[in-house]
Amino acid sequence: MLFRSDRLRSHTWGLFGLTVVFMFVVMAVFAPALGPTTVDKNMRNSYTEEITYYDTQTETVETTLVGEANLGSQSTGTNSRVMPFTYDDFGRYHPFGTLPNGRDLFTFIAAGSRISLIIGVLSVALSASLAGSLALTAAYYKGRVDLGLVLVSDAVMAMPQLLLLIMLTTVLADTWVGELYSGAFVLALIFAGTGWTYMWRAVRGPALQISERQWVDAARSFGQKPTVIMRRHMLPYITGYLLIYGSMTLGGAIIAIAGLSFLGLGVSPPTPEWGRAINLGQDYVTTGSWHISLIPGLLITLVVTGFNALGDGIRDAIDPQSDAEGGAAGRGGGA
Amino acid sequence: MSDAEPLLAVENLRTVFRTEREEIHAVDGVSFEIDAGETVGLVGESGSGKSVTARSILGLVDHPGSIDEGAIRFRGEDLTDDNWDDHRGDIAIVFQDPGSALNPVYTVGNQIREALKIHQNLRGREARERAIDLLEDVGIPDAATRVGEYPHQLSGGMQQRAVIAMALACDPDLLVCDEPTTALDVTIQAQILDLLADLQREDDLAILFITHDMGVIEDATDRVNVIYAGEVVERAPTEALFENPQHPYTQALLRSIPGRTPPDEPLPTIEGEVPTPTGPATDCRFAPRCPEAFGACREVHPEHEPVGDGTVERTAACLLHDDRYPDETGLDGSGSDGIEGARSDGGASR
Repeated sequence: MLFRSDRLRSHTWGLFGLTVVFMFVVMAVFAPALGPTTVDKNMRNSYTEEITYYDTQTETVETTLVGEANLGSQSTGTNSRVMPFTYDDFGRYHPFGTLPNGRDLFTFIAAGSRISLIIGVLSVALSASLAGSLALTAAYYKGRVDLGLVLVSDAVMAMPQLLLLIMLTTVLADTWVGELYSGAFVLALIFAGTGWTYMWRAVRGPALQISERQWVDAARSFGQKPTVIMRRHMLPYITGYLLIYGSMTLGGAIIAIAGLSFLGLGVSPPTPEWGRAINLGQDYVTTGSWHISLIPGLLITLVVTGFNALGDGIRDAIDPQSDAEGGAAGRGGGA
Repeated sequence: MSDAEPLLAVENLRTVFRTEREEIHAVDGVSFEIDAGETVGLVGESGSGKSVTARSILGLVDHPGSIDEGAIRFRGEDLTDDNWDDHRGDIAIVFQDPGSALNPVYTVGNQIREALKIHQNLRGREARERAIDLLEDVGIPDAATRVGEYPHQLSGGMQQRAVIAMALACDPDLLVCDEPTTALDVTIQAQILDLLADLQREDDLAILFITHDMGVIEDATDRVNVIYAGEVVERAPTEALFENPQHPYTQALLRSIPGRTPPDEPLPTIEGEVPTPTGPATDCRFAPRCPEAFGACREVHPEHEPVGDGTVERTAACLLHDDRYPDETGLDGSGSDGIEGARSDGGASR
């Protein structure tokens, strides 16, 4: 279980993942600075913010509200559209074109990446710590404790995650938890609450193996506390697995969040979210405004592939056997 | 054995592993005592229940195993009443494979300090200095440097010394050595045995020495318990046992020590392997492999009977020594040349 950075360095697929994830994180962190405009200016307060532009017909510099300008730069089909890498009639540059309501798609996506990343990281961190501590507990105490946790995780797995998500987002919509960060926090909680089981299953095996090692017995024999033994003598050996599964689960979480907002659930408008951009554009897919759904769709695919590739890369850097013979079949991490 | 209370008394210990398919009586009614400052050996083949006995004494038996019966009295207090935590550090263990008894992600000093913190409440520089002292005590040269090194930077012998230092950090009264020299080569083995003897002399440490190596037993122990398939079959002072083994199993074990056979003769072996005890004993478990077995051996479970000439306290669990069962083959009858041989050359060979 030694992490070898030199193995990651020569792992093209893993490097691809690292690059994509790095770019995604940069996009999320610097979202307000990256876009040609900001969410506040372009979306939330579009009827209080003003812009000035050069009107080619009257040949004068005019001032108008952003909201009015948005109405003039809608992408709603073949005849009325602002495509990627073009300027609209108000001299505003749109790297990814505009949404059907005339708002800037790039700004929308940059801001949306932030919320995807926050929900993703939060839910994965929560489920990884839950899965990790429960796996250590099960492995250390074995027997009934282990059996009990198997039952609990099976029960949680048996619940339909999507229905649970829909129900809880509706029920909690008006409570204070539901309103934290446009509902993102409660989403992360639900993802963690339902998603830890898969990770727990995956790390339970390695944790059981580690619990058989003699240094665990040695620590027990001189009276070390169980929690300290788990943390000091067992945790270091399963963090690698948690990293791999965490990275792969993160991709899944991003898809799930996008899927929910595509269905009109999850992160509440007007907070931008990638899935909602796809939803907004789906009526125009067959028209000239095809970019609205296509661009966020491609980006989701790219980012999720990136996270999975990074997971593969980490796994191969930790476990050389998975790459040498097994190829894509993989061992060690097992995913 | 003195009349005073022994340091550790294992009484009729029964450790059973229950799986869905079967019940394995890994330790089946083992009893022995250890007095302060003495070394008691527990010798037997692989799978005879030696290590499970050690783990039972330390309360390290994991699911699906459990101690079903018996008592482990440490200074008179029964540990099986879940009293292990009160005596953590009084009994320390040295495992067979030093490479796996040390956690590779922490330095040697770090692991010794962990025990020091718990048992001597030492922290920081004090703990570090004490760890260096301990490493010096176990004969590690340049201890001040070694204390900051990782287990993989030490040789096998050094690692075992470090493990012993870790055990000593608890300031134990009893050291359970579970095959401490098996993973080491012969010269290192001798050094470790010398070290244990020195430590015992200095600290009046009692040692339970578990091994399959009769040579080590002869060198290192005061009294021996021979264990077979979860049961003690013979107990005797070491010297008496080697001079005149009474149980056929002990005789066979001693015959199969390489040095005792003349160079041109093939080394005698014990045919077959240790059976896995899956139920309470109803017969002699050694009977299928025993050259002296007679009819009753397969029907009666032998009890410990005093053996020998009465000058030393020793017992063996064998029907050959039980007056109620007339020995049909006889101790000196035909087909028992092994016993005669062992008797006559037992004392002379060393």
